[in-house]
Amino acid sequence: MKKKVLLVDDSNTVLLMEKMILAKGPFEIIVARDGIEGIEKAKSEQPDVILLDVMMPRLDGLSACAVLRSDAATAHIPVIMVTTRAEEANIETAFRNGCTDYVTKPINGLELLAKLNNILDANAAVAR
Amino acid sequence: MKSETQRPFIEKVAQDTRDYVQSLLDEVQRLSRAVAELEVEIQTRDERELRLAQSMAAVEAESRNFATRYAEVEQQNSNLANLYVASYQLHGTLDRERVVAAIKEIVINLIGSEQLVIWEAENENELRHVGSFGVDADEWNSVGVDDGVIGLCLTTRVRFIVVESAILPSGREKNLTACIPLLLDDRLVGMIAIFELLPQKEGLARVDYELFELLASHAASALYCTRRTPPSEGAAQ
Repeated sequence: MKKKVLLVDDSNTVLLMEKMILAKGPFEIIVARDGIEGIEKAKSEQPDVILLDVMMPRLDGLSACAVLRSDAATAHIPVIMVTTRAEEANIETAFRNGCTDYVTKPINGLELLAKLNNILDANAAVAR
Repeated sequence: MKSETQRPFIEKVAQDTRDYVQSLLDEVQRLSRAVAELEVEIQTRDERELRLAQSMAAVEAESRNFATRYAEVEQQNSNLANLYVASYQLHGTLDRERVVAAIKEIVINLIGSEQLVIWEAENENELRHVGSFGVDADEWNSVGVDDGVIGLCLTTRVRFIVVESAILPSGREKNLTACIPLLLDDRLVGMIAIFELLPQKEGLARVDYELFELLASHAASALYCTRRTPPSEGAAQ
């Protein structure tokens, strides 16, 4: 069964890159272009995991992550933050706002797939 | 008299004892044979275990080899995906702003730098700023042939990559990582300067050099095409 992955990013380049990486796996891809649209799609589509960019118009990824965590309808959905800067402060903020894991740009396909599969496997184990 | 009567009994006891000793000897012989057989079996088993361990080690080595090759193939796929995405983004529009945005996105998201400047060639000796990110645009408004390493690239039309060069950029070019002339049929269309790489990037990877090559030609043609398209017709669907 295909797992639903919500990609939230305002960059066409990153979205295309993520789609190409995820095309290798059994994933159904949904796209949102900013934090607000990401939250709406998370509620309506109930994805298995969300890939959330940090820098976005209207609502940034860190704030969107906090909103997702505070809403009962989306609080359970794992979030992987996609950060440009890997400095400790950014990572700490991302985890404080409730992200499950993070990847840094430029995105490494192997790393992203490994983290995604780890999260999905862990969720499947909990469900069993 | 008494001893005469006891003789048969003594002989019987002696015979029984001989029989018993013989049976013990037979048993010892049987057990010795069994021990010898077991020793052979143990030796055979040891040899089999050794062969199994060797086979296991060979399978593990092969498995590691496959894992390494898989990672290499995946890395190549990832690199090809990078190049495809970059090319697709550059040629997906004839709109100038979108081409410049695509170049920025390629440098930020695929190469991994948040400090860049894009110029167009004003003439043979001068570059005019058309886009930048993470730097003071005013500082890089125009560049001439006398302006440091970037000026040298403008003159020679040869790309500069700091780790390949004996020249150490200084002053405002201090953090220059690469300077890529955008060339179309040897005609200079523009230039891209990439300054500091993102902190998590340990250096330039092979795919980065391929992206430089791709930018040099494809960004040049994409930028050049925008000159020939009126803005109103620019944005491709």
